Amino acid sequence: MVRDYAARSREIIRDEPGVREAVTGATIAFDEKRRKGYAEVDADAWRRWAEGVKNHTLTHLDHYLTEAEARLQANGAQVHWAADAAEAREIVIGLATRRAVASVVKGKSMVTEEIDLNPALEEAGIEVIETDLGEYVLQLLEEPPSHILGPALHKSLRQVQDLFAERLNTAPDGDPDTLARAAREVLRNAFIDADMGITGANFLVAETGTVALIENEGNIRLTTSLPRVHVAVVGIEKLLPRMTDLAGFLQLTARAATGQPIGCFVSLIQGPAAEPGDDGPEEVHVVLVDNGRTDVLAHEHAWEALRCVRCGACLNACPVYRQTGGHAYGHVYSGPIGSVLDPGLLGLHDAMPLPFASSLCGACEDACPVRIPIPELLLEWRKEAQDEGLTPWKERAALAGLASVATRPGLYRLAGRIGSRLGARGAGRALPMLGEWARDRALPKPSPRTFRQLWRKGIE
Amino acid sequence: MSAGGESSRERILARVARAAASRGRLSHPGALATPAADPVAGFVKCFTSSGGEVVKADRGRPANEWLTDFLQALEPGVVGVAVGPEVPAGLRPRLPDVAAAHAGAGISVAWGAVSESGSLILPSTGTRAVQLLPPVHVVWVPEGRVFARMEDALRELLDGLPAAVGLHSGPSKSADIGRTVVTGVHGPGRCMVVFI
Ligand code: SF4
Repeated sequence: MVRDYAARSREIIRDEPGVREAVTGATIAFDEKRRKGYAEVDADAWRRWAEGVKNHTLTHLDHYLTEAEARLQANGAQVHWAADAAEAREIVIGLATRRAVASVVKGKSMVTEEIDLNPALEEAGIEVIETDLGEYVLQLLEEPPSHILGPALHKSLRQVQDLFAERLNTAPDGDPDTLARAAREVLRNAFIDADMGITGANFLVAETGTVALIENEGNIRLTTSLPRVHVAVVGIEKLLPRMTDLAGFLQLTARAATGQPIGCFVSLIQGPAAEPGDDGPEEVHVVLVDNGRTDVLAHEHAWEALRCVRCGACLNACPVYRQTGGHAYGHVYSGPIGSVLDPGLLGLHDAMPLPFASSLCGACEDACPVRIPIPELLLEWRKEAQDEGLTPWKERAALAGLASVATRPGLYRLAGRIGSRLGARGAGRALPMLGEWARDRALPKPSPRTFRQLWRKGIE
Repeated sequence: MSAGGESSRERILARVARAAASRGRLSHPGALATPAADPVAGFVKCFTSSGGEVVKADRGRPANEWLTDFLQALEPGVVGVAVGPEVPAGLRPRLPDVAAAHAGAGISVAWGAVSESGSLILPSTGTRAVQLLPPVHVVWVPEGRVFARMEDALRELLDGLPAAVGLHSGPSKSADIGRTVVTGVHGPGRCMVVFI
């Protein structure tokens, strides 16, 4: 499915001009907030520290996984291990069936998208309700999320007004407040009725067995508090050694994602309710998911992508992502991080041509709170694709042209002028991204990076 | 006890250990040094810039009387309240207790607060429904319990860590519809701190 990247990008740009407008506006706003959030602290020092903590954790992951497991069990939580998506689904559905769960509320979670959990639950006769406002909109539309942070940021107000008017009987021109209130009412009842809450995790602290979740709406707090069973589905790379590490990561992640000092709500969950006065869940389950992560960890270069905290900053900074949004990428992880992670998780063959969906401008790496060298990793994947004969020459030529234009100031400006004269359609048909790129006046400055060197290493 | 197949557990751990061994084990960089400012002033600045409110109690009056009048004067006026079990009698408003789902305001006492992130630390023993369901959340914060840094607060929290802890750093917010910020989406739309 990922193979249709170019076609899908073209379609989205051509047929859904609103998407581009919404995505570009939202990502530029997020990116500005991130810059401001970084400027308020010694962001370089924080990022170097975070990179070091994650590298330490990933190279001691066996130790920290067993420590987290032991702590969680001591806290009264149950720990499950899933080698792949099928096993993860089986575990969750098994838990739901055993507790006769009729309805589930969910907090926004990339990993449950990755393992395709919702359709499996529905097939088992269980009602699933997404409770993040953006996710709820998408669930009504039967669309996947397009951005890690703002899953529905490709939707305009008009589209949500139409949707809610039809489904929730709101006025056709209801303002965002009215629309949110209508959704809140439906979802409040869902929280109260649900038997199980399912979330992902931003972090899992080995020292205490703490599942940490960051959010702004409060729906995750409710998802992990009101239903009698809470299931956290957690990728094995989410570990952090200690609570003191978490203190830094909670703040850095929020700054990278939205520029906030921290999310409005953070849930720190150690286990099921035990003390009098605690009205939390009777059962807490943590499902540790591999699903390709150990392959990535074993990869000579790609393992660095496992530092990712899913903040979305690289998506917001990426001129390619800004044009198409996440759906063009065809996999749950989109944008720059998707282009380096998907080949590792899905296999390079299935993830083609994502490593080529970039000009290597370096904006992603500069934004990344854990300093993942995304351009270098893209080049490594390109090299592997080349070695395995996975790159048709046409694609290579087109993408080489694109990249070289984007990284050479003179040509770049010229392309901008030509592009705007030709219009999107003419330029876009010949070179799907170049035409669109050239039209965009909001592009970051061409990269001063040693692109040519990198490129030679990767391609020639 | 691990469910879900012992074999997956063993396989995952073996693969992780192999990868780690081939790469070499890298050391931890130590603590992240974030600067410590004046705790209370820093908290107020950060918490209010996230949309939280800091209210001054009239210290000439008994706290519960002041709070009762304050809640009744809100728009809309609070009729019933949900009060956490940790709130001492002197800090409970003289208003009828109702279920959290129907209360006009929830009243809690924070375990502490963090200056650098503008966060309130709320243990689950304070009952989560009180902290989450009412549209207004009023939190008493002991002034001496404001930590300059998150790290210090979490380190102290390690002793007797409850089943869950919520960090609340402002009202519930979303910009998912039309990129317009709306408050009170799921959690409280107003989060108010009163120092004691
Ligand atoms: S790669 Fe870095 S910037 Fe991108 S989502 Fe992950 S942590 Fe954030």
